[in-house]
Amino acid sequence: MTATTSAPPGRKRRNLGDLKVALIFLGPATLGFVVFYIWPTLRGAYLSFTQYSLLSPPEFTGLKNYERMIHDGFFWNALVVTVEYVAINIGLQTVLAVLIAMLMYRLTKSITVRAVILLPYLVANVVVALVWYWMLDFQVGIVNQALTWIGIDPVAFFGDSAWAIPTVAGINIWRHMGYTALLVFAGLQTIPPYVYEAAAVDGSTEMKTFWRITLPLLRPVLVMVTVVTIIGSFQIFDTVAVTTQGGPINATRVIYYYIYERAFTRFDFGYASAMAMVLFAILAIVSLLQLRLLRAKESDLS
Amino acid sequence: MTLSRRSLLKAGLAGIAATAVAGCNNGAASRGTGEVIYWLWDSAQLPMYAEAAKAFHEQNPQYTVTIEQYGWNDYWSKLVTGFISGTAPDVFTSHSAKYPLFADKGQVLPIDDFVAQDGVDLGIYQQGLADRWVGADGKRYGLPKDWDTEAYFYNSAFTEAAGISTEQLNSMTWNPQDGGTFEEIVRRLTVDAKGRRGDQPGFDKETVKVHGLGFADGGGNDGQTSWSWYAASNGWKYSEGEPWGTRFFYGDPKFTETIAWWRGLITKGYMPTLAQAKSGVDVTATFGAGKYGITPNGSWMMGAYSGLGKVKTKLARLPEGPNGKRMSMMNGLADTIWAGTTRQEAAWAWVKFLGSKQAQDIVAKAGVVFPAVKECMPAATAAFKADGWDITPFLEPVAAGATFAYPASPNAADLTAIMSPAMDSVMAFETDPADLVEANDEVNQVLAAAS
Amino acid sequence: MRRTLNPGRTVAWIVLIVLMLLTLFPFYWMLRTAFSDNTQLAGNPNSLLPVESTLGAFKRVLGLATVEEAQAQGGSGASVNFWLYLRNSLVVATVTTVCQVFFSAMAAYAFARLRWPGRDKVFAVFLAALMVPPIFTTLPNFVLIKNLGLLNSFAGIILPGAFMTPFAIFFLRQFFLGISRELEEAAMIDGAGHRKIFFGLILPMSAAPITTLAILTYINSWNDYFWPLLVGQQENVRVLTVALGVFRSQTPQGSPDWAGLMAATLIAALPMIILFLAFAKRITNSIGFSGIK
Repeated sequence: MTATTSAPPGRKRRNLGDLKVALIFLGPATLGFVVFYIWPTLRGAYLSFTQYSLLSPPEFTGLKNYERMIHDGFFWNALVVTVEYVAINIGLQTVLAVLIAMLMYRLTKSITVRAVILLPYLVANVVVALVWYWMLDFQVGIVNQALTWIGIDPVAFFGDSAWAIPTVAGINIWRHMGYTALLVFAGLQTIPPYVYEAAAVDGSTEMKTFWRITLPLLRPVLVMVTVVTIIGSFQIFDTVAVTTQGGPINATRVIYYYIYERAFTRFDFGYASAMAMVLFAILAIVSLLQLRLLRAKESDLS
Repeated sequence: MTLSRRSLLKAGLAGIAATAVAGCNNGAASRGTGEVIYWLWDSAQLPMYAEAAKAFHEQNPQYTVTIEQYGWNDYWSKLVTGFISGTAPDVFTSHSAKYPLFADKGQVLPIDDFVAQDGVDLGIYQQGLADRWVGADGKRYGLPKDWDTEAYFYNSAFTEAAGISTEQLNSMTWNPQDGGTFEEIVRRLTVDAKGRRGDQPGFDKETVKVHGLGFADGGGNDGQTSWSWYAASNGWKYSEGEPWGTRFFYGDPKFTETIAWWRGLITKGYMPTLAQAKSGVDVTATFGAGKYGITPNGSWMMGAYSGLGKVKTKLARLPEGPNGKRMSMMNGLADTIWAGTTRQEAAWAWVKFLGSKQAQDIVAKAGVVFPAVKECMPAATAAFKADGWDITPFLEPVAAGATFAYPASPNAADLTAIMSPAMDSVMAFETDPADLVEANDEVNQVLAAAS
Repeated sequence: MRRTLNPGRTVAWIVLIVLMLLTLFPFYWMLRTAFSDNTQLAGNPNSLLPVESTLGAFKRVLGLATVEEAQAQGGSGASVNFWLYLRNSLVVATVTTVCQVFFSAMAAYAFARLRWPGRDKVFAVFLAALMVPPIFTTLPNFVLIKNLGLLNSFAGIILPGAFMTPFAIFFLRQFFLGISRELEEAAMIDGAGHRKIFFGLILPMSAAPITTLAILTYINSWNDYFWPLLVGQQENVRVLTVALGVFRSQTPQGSPDWAGLMAATLIAALPMIILFLAFAKRITNSIGFSGIK
């Protein structure tokens, strides 16, 4: 794990350091962590080696679930579709979020603007999906009506295999970009003004300042934001469940939706657990790479 | 209790305690032995069952019923969580697609002994309904509460404008070669952007404003409201050994020619493409927006069609197929008892009451669904008539004995998971109807592996 | 910074306004739908104003219409005991937010500012929890809450989120890392202990990120649906989202009460919007005072 703080030199003590204090500070969080995260995960890991229908006791089957996965075309399709979704979602969302955060930071302190930007996040996932599902309907949706008014043929947003994933991604970008922007904004606020003043004195242009100063100083926050949003978007579920249910054909059968289907509609919980383990492993690798590549150490300020 | 607390906790955590924990759940401790928790998913039916519960309590003061309603999706996930944790309701509304699996896993209580002991007369129900709830193991798992068939809902303003008479609509014929008079009517009801009908010269199938026939999706493994009656009247059946199919026939030429004709309607412009159909709100809302001439649907949908403010809707019979019959699927719901209930007596008393003429009279008068008890049908017919519906098209297939059953199976979820994408893929012209042979092989493999 | 209207600024403003309009339009559409007559909606898809405008949907949601009226309007007959559920939502979201943010901040402090052996490995394990698919945790946690006898209690709803979320710890740790060491060391020299540094230095210095996190936590907890649906179905602890779930899916294939659904959504989001607006003003002020910008 590279997400570390480098201890300042000269204060190295080869003992337990602040361990006692740390234990107190970590106490409550550890309790919740062990009971509500670690234990269920270990149990899930065990179940991935069993055949378990939820309604009768699990039977140990060794690696059989993992072998099945290799030959399961739906699983591989689900992975590809999910990666496609994550790429569109994260790419656009991060750019938009940084853009919005910068605009808010530079243009206005208005609370109203901030509230408006965060507004979509106030509405539950499922309802957001429903509203867009309705607005994007091929026959009666307002978006397609508007497209017709300006002379564009209506688009089958959810029904067309090529459009379905970008559409689902778009809906989630709409809901989450304000949220992400606010996280970035919180990061911007921690950059001391004197840094900008110094840059202005040096005659740095707006663009230069952004690339050379703002972005590097934002790095710890950006790393955190992208790690969190990537992990979140790999687990895309609600929007698909409400709108396309994996269709058309298999175009939006994302991995989490497929896991859910296997577990709770087909009662194949052991197999679902195995897939969840693989998803878990993928996320761990992706986050590790991210943290390493972006070197999420301390801010460049210190 | 104290002794078992710890071990129960352990077992529960391991998630294997569905039945062991069942005996002492928290909900149970706080309510009396005569208190039954009852679940249903249709909010439209909530008022009538609340009324039934009141009547039940008056007759049996020792019992009370608490009704809880959850939407369709939440309903099943909550139910399964309930099975696992021992917090499921004592009695719940069940569906043909779901109960075989629950029965297979021992979650639903067989009621044969109760039926025998109380001498329940199963002859009062519509033909064949009660037997629908006898599982693959020969045990009875529920008493029927309602039933449904299919018919066509049509936009009467459109049919009048097209000069199609009620008689024509009710005497339609169909065959997989040219679609019969049914296809002629659908063609005539299709209108393009310039107002030309499907059977008029210059009709442009690329700019259709009103499609003659409604289309929701490929229909999955049952095709209940999409293709089931065409296939059935073409002499096809779902599987060998119905109703508990052991080998399915989705690769049968009779089925593939039916589907090939059906999907041909898309090519001709009488039905929207799959992409359009699956892109947004359901068939009913689209029909309500005046985009369809005819949509097939189930009898339980009449309430939704009544609610379409702008469009005047009427009912037409399904077409007469090559076998000379107007075939319809007949399905229905039942009330089942959770195997883990600690209130078997009270639960049975409530199930028995719901299946009785008295309760079904309340159902009939509400005019939402068709009651399972034959004698109650006139009251239901009258209630629907008061709402402006002539429900004859739904009743005829039953009277004529031209019904077939929902393809129930403990593996229904697997069948759907295979057949839904396969059917959609055919309807999207990505594969051909003949390719359904492959999906059918897959279905049969799953069944073979499960048995 | 002095504000002048140069071309770059104008373009920037236009971009921001366009983004805000894109954000707002669906809300307008929800309003327009909520004030429409549900039975007329499908027939008038492209009317930009409410169709046959009526307050019927709001009345249905709040239970001011009779069941018969509601059903005649295309509704479900189910209604919402608004004030009770609002109270429950407030209790759940407030307690969850306060506990979660506080305990997570404590943990983040231990990870960011204290030195102890194995710290980074332990942090990695905590971080890994961020990747645990919820499908693993929901069922065992439900069984646990049930066996603790906490079904249908606020404790049962709140407990799993009360101690931490990996996100909250990760988030705060990143910010705590950025606080300059000199201040801390100066305080140490003055004889301040860790408790004093945590409460007197770290927390006030991180007011902005902590409030941001608190707002987000509050929203998440407010919008949480599936867990409270499983654990808190009884009237006395039922939260707004669970109550509104009734409107979401009715008959297996019925056409939904769009107007009612939108009205319900707006009603559920309104307290959040009000809270946010009221709260946000104070936040910016406090940030202004503490001198961190």
